[in-house]
Amino acid sequence: MTLGTKRLIGALLSTSILFGAVSVADAETLVIAGRDGSMGQALELAVEAYLEQNPDLEVERLELTGGGLLETVTIAMREGSDAYDVIMIDDPWAPEFMANGWLRDLDELGGGVDEDFVAPARDVSRHPYAEGPHYAVPFVGNVELFAYRSDLFDQYGLSRPESWTDVLTAAQTIGEGEEDVSGVVFRGIKANPIVTGFLPILWAHGARVVGEDGRGGLDGEGALQALELYLQLAEHAPRGVETYNSTEVRDALMQGTTAISIELWPSWAPSLDDPELSKVPGLIEIMAAPGQVQGPAPMLGAWLVGVATTSQNPERARDFIDFLTSPEMQKRLALEVGTPPTRASVYADDEVVGAYRWYPAQLDALNNAQPRPRITQWSRVETILGDFLQLALIGEMEPADALAEANERINDALAR
Amino acid sequence: MPTSRHTAFLLILPAALVLALLTLYPLGRGLALSFFATDYGFEGATYVGTENYTDLLGDRFFRRAMQNTVQFTLMATVSEVALGLALALLVNRRMPGRGVVIPLLIAPFVLSTMVVTAIWSAWFHYDFGYLNNLLRVFGLEGVPWLFDPDIALLSLVLVDLWQTAPLTFLILLAGLQAIDRELYEAAWMDGAGPWRILLTITLPLLIPHILLATLLRSIESFKIFDKVFALTGGGPGHATETLSMFLYREGFRFFEIGAASATAMIMVVIAGLLAAVYAWSIMRSARRD
Repeated sequence: MTLGTKRLIGALLSTSILFGAVSVADAETLVIAGRDGSMGQALELAVEAYLEQNPDLEVERLELTGGGLLETVTIAMREGSDAYDVIMIDDPWAPEFMANGWLRDLDELGGGVDEDFVAPARDVSRHPYAEGPHYAVPFVGNVELFAYRSDLFDQYGLSRPESWTDVLTAAQTIGEGEEDVSGVVFRGIKANPIVTGFLPILWAHGARVVGEDGRGGLDGEGALQALELYLQLAEHAPRGVETYNSTEVRDALMQGTTAISIELWPSWAPSLDDPELSKVPGLIEIMAAPGQVQGPAPMLGAWLVGVATTSQNPERARDFIDFLTSPEMQKRLALEVGTPPTRASVYADDEVVGAYRWYPAQLDALNNAQPRPRITQWSRVETILGDFLQLALIGEMEPADALAEANERINDALAR
Repeated sequence: MPTSRHTAFLLILPAALVLALLTLYPLGRGLALSFFATDYGFEGATYVGTENYTDLLGDRFFRRAMQNTVQFTLMATVSEVALGLALALLVNRRMPGRGVVIPLLIAPFVLSTMVVTAIWSAWFHYDFGYLNNLLRVFGLEGVPWLFDPDIALLSLVLVDLWQTAPLTFLILLAGLQAIDRELYEAAWMDGAGPWRILLTITLPLLIPHILLATLLRSIESFKIFDKVFALTGGGPGHATETLSMFLYREGFRFFEIGAASATAMIMVVIAGLLAAVYAWSIMRSARRD
């Protein structure tokens, strides 16, 4: 090879590398910060479908745990980073994200949020709550459900529980009658899991974590009765329930080792009917959590998607969100991944209802769902409540003392 | 001499600059932030003097975290150094299969902490765990390893011991092998028994290595976070919450950066004291020599 040929090849290579770099730098990119697990699978499927329609687009997708996502995105937003275009948020984070101006006003960006989305999920996507413009679009229609073994209830002559007192009676009856089946199961680990299980009981007793006056609401008789009932239920839970998280609760349901789960999330439900995964397929009845002094109060656990204020590509981000939450994609995600829809029309789809027998009950729960308090300090308040609930659960504090100290600390947190 | 000092200064300068940039600056910033109420940086921060420190000292959860951390550090360090020493003394002798035993002993140390916690999480399971199944084989009751507030911290020590005793073992084995064998031969000839040799020759000569292992393990144990996070999350209740977990929650969950910085400063002071004790011991033994 002559020197001239070498120089020519060198020049061609340099030029191609240079142009390659320029073309990479110029490629339109969308960065999505989202969840892992089944929600991550749903996002992955939607991204693939979106890329088929937009082959020149590049998408970077972060798959993070709930806690990891909150930390990562919060730090980025506080630093004013433009790293993310689309952000997935849990509905209790929404007040902080929206009040701090971290999300774009989607009504202003164009498109709005149509009324096919169920009202409670639409309300938490607005700031101020239920009134202001939309800063996010409901993506995952999670709502806390309640599950029980219909065969065991029949065997012991128990009817569908109408109140938490009925739940306690059933847990006691079956727990004492069955050797290898616990009366009830729930997530007992600190912070979000234990609070999530307790809230429907608290609400059904007419109490609130944060009252209408904006102060802690755990100092009333209703809260104490709710905690006492929760602790009575715990006596019929498996040993070590304090360490139970989603995996253990799902295992107990699928292995048939529990009669009742006070908490069931829609994404867990499909595996309960799968004979390859469950020992009790078709025997688990799913319903909205019962009431007590008040009617049923299922907890809303919707996941939303929004556009970061710092996004360099907001129009594309908005377009992707519209695609992701369209009726067609919601139906596909429900059927292929089991993602609970947020659109009422998808719950009315025969094919979807044919695949998931509990969807009518799920839609009913979703339509009546209550959100967690719309405060910017929820993360701290939830942690405080979770700490003291667990101290009561393991017997280190009396229920009344635990609630009193939790309430005092919640008031401090709310005053910050 | 001046030239040589000048050269020494120039040689040290890059390392000193890197140290200042990576250690002293964050430390100084952390110290400054600990006197402010802030949810992130200095922007919008309010000077609160020593309020963050007084709030922490008055907080029962902080005091519990401090107590747990000190207990964990003491239990983990003592048990790891003791087990490492016992293993090193055993393996230092001529024994069959030594070439296989040493890699086996070191194996847990090369595993990542997340793998270690996954293994132990399965072993600790009350109903299906390996440990309780083993106990049931002998007709004993299962132990609530992770959900009894009186046992959970000990369980974490057990995991730490399993993973990091190999480090103390290696340090102490290196120390044992550095001892001149002629000293042992002379002692044997003078009629000293194994215990007397251990107490009068081996242990005194091994003290710098024991101190090093103790320092390394005590500082690491004092910072314990990952095993607690993965195995108990600080629970049940606050039975296993350590200072690092407390700091993480304040800083990264609540963004109470002032309180988190104050916690970090308290940890730095305690870790610094541990290091100072070690440095003082080393200097004292060097002066004696």
